[in-house]
Amino acid sequence: MSIDPQGPKVGADEWVARQGHRREYLPSWLGHAQRAGERVGWWPRLAIAGLAGLALPLLGLGGFQLQVGIDALVIALLAVGLNIVVGWAGLLDLGYVAFFGCGAYGYALLSSPQLGANGIHLPYWLSLPIVMIGAALLGLAVGLPSRRLLGDYLAIVTLFFGEAFVEVTNNVAPSKLGGPNGITTIDPISGFGIQLTTNESYYYLLVIVLVVTMAVLRLLEYSRTGRAWRAVREDPLAAAAMTIPVNRVKLSAFACGAMVAALAGTIFAAQQASVFPTDFDTPILILIYAGLILGGIGSIAGAATGALVVMVIYDGVLRSPAEASILFYGLGLLTLLVKLRPWRRLAVVLGATVALGFAAHAIAAAIAPSAVAGGPQSTGLIGDGLQDWIIVPGNPQTAQTVGNFGFVVLICLALTLVQVKGRWRTILLVPTIYLAAFVWEARLVNEPSITRQLMIGAILIVMMISRPQGLLGQRRVEVAT
Amino acid sequence: MSFFFQELVNGLTTGALYSLVALGFSMVYGVLKLLNFAHGDLYMIGAYIGFFVIQWFGGAQHLTIAVPLLLLIMFVLAAALVGGLGVAIERFAYRPLRDAPRIAPLITAIGVSFFLESSALLLFGAQYRVYNTADFISLSSGIQIGSVTIDSVQILVLVLGVVLMAGLQLLVNRTRLGRQMRAVAADREAAEMLGINVNFVITATFFLGSALAGVAGVMGGLLFNQVTSTIGFIVGLKAFTAAVVGGIGSIPGAMLGGLVIGVAESFVTGYISSTYSNLIVFGILIVVMLLRPTGLLGRAQLQKV
Amino acid sequence: MSAGHEPTGGTAAPVLELDRLSLSFGGLRALSELDLQVREREVVSIIGPNGAGKTTVFNVITGVYEPSAGDVRFGAHPGPAESIAGRPPYAIARLGIARTFQTLRLFMNMSVLENVMAATYGGTRAMPWESVLRLPRARREEREARVLAEEVLSFFGQRLAGYRWDQPAYSLSYANRRRLEIARALATRPRLLLLDEPAAGMNPAETHEVTELIGQIRDEREISILVIEHDMHVVSGCSDRVVALDHGVKIAEGGFDQVANHPAVVEAYLGRHPEDLAGAE
Repeated sequence: MSIDPQGPKVGADEWVARQGHRREYLPSWLGHAQRAGERVGWWPRLAIAGLAGLALPLLGLGGFQLQVGIDALVIALLAVGLNIVVGWAGLLDLGYVAFFGCGAYGYALLSSPQLGANGIHLPYWLSLPIVMIGAALLGLAVGLPSRRLLGDYLAIVTLFFGEAFVEVTNNVAPSKLGGPNGITTIDPISGFGIQLTTNESYYYLLVIVLVVTMAVLRLLEYSRTGRAWRAVREDPLAAAAMTIPVNRVKLSAFACGAMVAALAGTIFAAQQASVFPTDFDTPILILIYAGLILGGIGSIAGAATGALVVMVIYDGVLRSPAEASILFYGLGLLTLLVKLRPWRRLAVVLGATVALGFAAHAIAAAIAPSAVAGGPQSTGLIGDGLQDWIIVPGNPQTAQTVGNFGFVVLICLALTLVQVKGRWRTILLVPTIYLAAFVWEARLVNEPSITRQLMIGAILIVMMISRPQGLLGQRRVEVAT
Repeated sequence: MSFFFQELVNGLTTGALYSLVALGFSMVYGVLKLLNFAHGDLYMIGAYIGFFVIQWFGGAQHLTIAVPLLLLIMFVLAAALVGGLGVAIERFAYRPLRDAPRIAPLITAIGVSFFLESSALLLFGAQYRVYNTADFISLSSGIQIGSVTIDSVQILVLVLGVVLMAGLQLLVNRTRLGRQMRAVAADREAAEMLGINVNFVITATFFLGSALAGVAGVMGGLLFNQVTSTIGFIVGLKAFTAAVVGGIGSIPGAMLGGLVIGVAESFVTGYISSTYSNLIVFGILIVVMLLRPTGLLGRAQLQKV
Repeated sequence: MSAGHEPTGGTAAPVLELDRLSLSFGGLRALSELDLQVREREVVSIIGPNGAGKTTVFNVITGVYEPSAGDVRFGAHPGPAESIAGRPPYAIARLGIARTFQTLRLFMNMSVLENVMAATYGGTRAMPWESVLRLPRARREEREARVLAEEVLSFFGQRLAGYRWDQPAYSLSYANRRRLEIARALATRPRLLLLDEPAAGMNPAETHEVTELIGQIRDEREISILVIEHDMHVVSGCSDRVVALDHGVKIAEGGFDQVANHPAVVEAYLGRHPEDLAGAE
């Protein structure tokens, strides 16, 4: 490393200066994986992921799992589109799911028996552009208030737009829009002689569409449009002073995001062959956001990955108690492994927890056998291992009540854990882990639909506080204005 | 004509409820510049607390204590517990994000809201809990003005609402804490440098705002009878609208906004149909946003370049 | 030390002209009947105590504020100047007025090169689909933007060169950030450059560099420059003319020595001598 006499002066030699671009990677072996991935390059990674996705059905993915895959791909597409508005242009759009709905309902109205005598049955290659352009115009309309509104106000207005969409499709013109019963018997996607009627075909279509969309957005990201979007997020005032028409750029972000959402909507509608107002309500929006936040705002790959992970867990894994338990205990152990350093501390905590469990179980069994009569819900290896460790009351009513109390106490314990440090934290960790396993077995594993909602809420809270850039995103530096 | 006044009374009653929720929402926005999406869910928790108090004392049909005492306990307990919950949420979910860009606490708030709703579902079940107000408060003992009836529950809500709002106005404008709140709302850093304990002020604001939401929750249970984990969402939305229409960050604005929304909703339901009432409320918001973005009583915020 | 450069002046219409410019915020008069001219290839410095309205002048020129009275005229091409008052900031920037900010407003999370290339937006026309499909116009514009950005950055020697291009702006030192902001402004191909306290927070060596830089920009790129500065070394070293403001009013104008010793200017900075106070009334 030669020192250039014309180069950086006192206090910063070139080697130090070159390190300035060093990025932050995930801890330990995850970071190694990340660096290896980066050496491969973005485009090869996309190609590999796409091929892997296409190969999955051939490797045996079918039936129920295929449907989960389809739903996950739809949410991933939505997250990638939302990333344009929130991640690049920095506009908090809380009504994004309405564009998804517009796409779906638009296609439903144009390609089904719904409107007119026999209905308009436009072929997909006609209705798709119409729907996408319609959504873009709607995006412009929704974005217009953003001219005069600060970020918070925009969030409110878009939130209400999203709610208004559900209200309208639920209550307005039921004969045309189907009301709460929605529109059914939508045409499948057809064109160029092919008709898509099987789940496999929609799966393949979605993988291809997702990959193509991600590619298009990557090309946009480093073009003048992408730079303008990101500049507007960084500092709208400075961007305007540098010739960027801020309002127009914001509107184009809204429009592009809306178009992607509409695209996802049409495929969703065709695959489901029906649309209902409840398909586009706030819980779906929260899922999209959870995926985007988990994966990393601002990163295309992050948005898609995060959404896929969230949906696979939400829709797939958490449906069956056995798989859910594997995930729960697996993730729990993984977190402990990664976070608890040094090894001695980890061993102490785990050992103490195990000991505490057996002791508690034995004591409880001695006092009141009915208190431990119920077995853990998890089957197989985990179930056997937990049999004498976990306390689960035999009577389901008692299990529920005690489980509820346990839940509340667990939250309090977890919050206390956040407060304390050092030795106290290590000590408190032991009963917390045991209690968590108890609450899981006694309550949570029996209520998968509630558990997965709790998980989503927790993801949003924990990610924003501890790792706002998500798993694959980059830390941002915000200048306080 | 009497129909008009009846609807007006009904509207003012629900409006008072919305005002209380909007007040808490507006106060929190004032000091933290945070749109607390979880605020509506605090209302829901308050409603549940009221329900469980009724159950504790024997249930709606077989109350073991006098009704006034029951009501007192319901309101006080809801205020205290929900206030405490609000403080905990601020302490653990929002405080770490005090200086983060605005988008972060907003998303966290969405997460908190979702988590609260799911927790309520887990702990209290999905079935509707019913207050059965008529069983222990005789609705016929109200006031009759001409052919307009204001039943006792409505009187209770209106009176309590006015008292609380007046009390809050007094607190904010005449007490030291109120002055500190206004200072923190104007410029947090400067307030801190002037010796104001900002953390305490923010905690107090959250406690008060959440307590108001809890009390409103009990009122809602008494008025509308049914309690479930999702009632917070729509009431929260309407309180949002009320706070924004009135001018977010402005206390008189939240009060005015709540009444406007309540009355508008009542008239739309009465004269047109209930299916459109939500849409009309949203419409009011959009119109106000476009014509007067700072709300009816709000003040524009200057930005130094 | 006065500027060693011959002002061109007098020939064509001024590049920038403020004509009886006034701006009030409610009851507060920020600017009062301000007359100011900047001619071709001229460096004019604005000095004055804090709160005098200097940055406000920049804000009015660049369209952030609309004047309450008076006019702002700018000659985008050599030729007659047209009024730009009331136009949106991005349109004024496209006409050829660029600025830096007192408080540094970089695009922190974008790379050095991207910061500068972002400023080429107004000079390019490619639509999003052209960029995606890599159509000829988009490719050409992207190439030209990159060349322009690299050229503008090389103005600062090795500091913002080569390996620095892909580093995020937040990783730069303070002085480099200020330089980047100037580079970014230059990428808009301005005819008039507004520098708001370019030497703030810099040590003597860096300050000297900035002074030379301003002269260089005027000479090599034939850009007129309006500078707000507190550091009198910079002002005396690079200005062709100096204007002094206080409470929104112009109190002196002329060469550096003239203005620096003007009694009104001395009073604005240092206050009046108590003896003079008694004798004046």
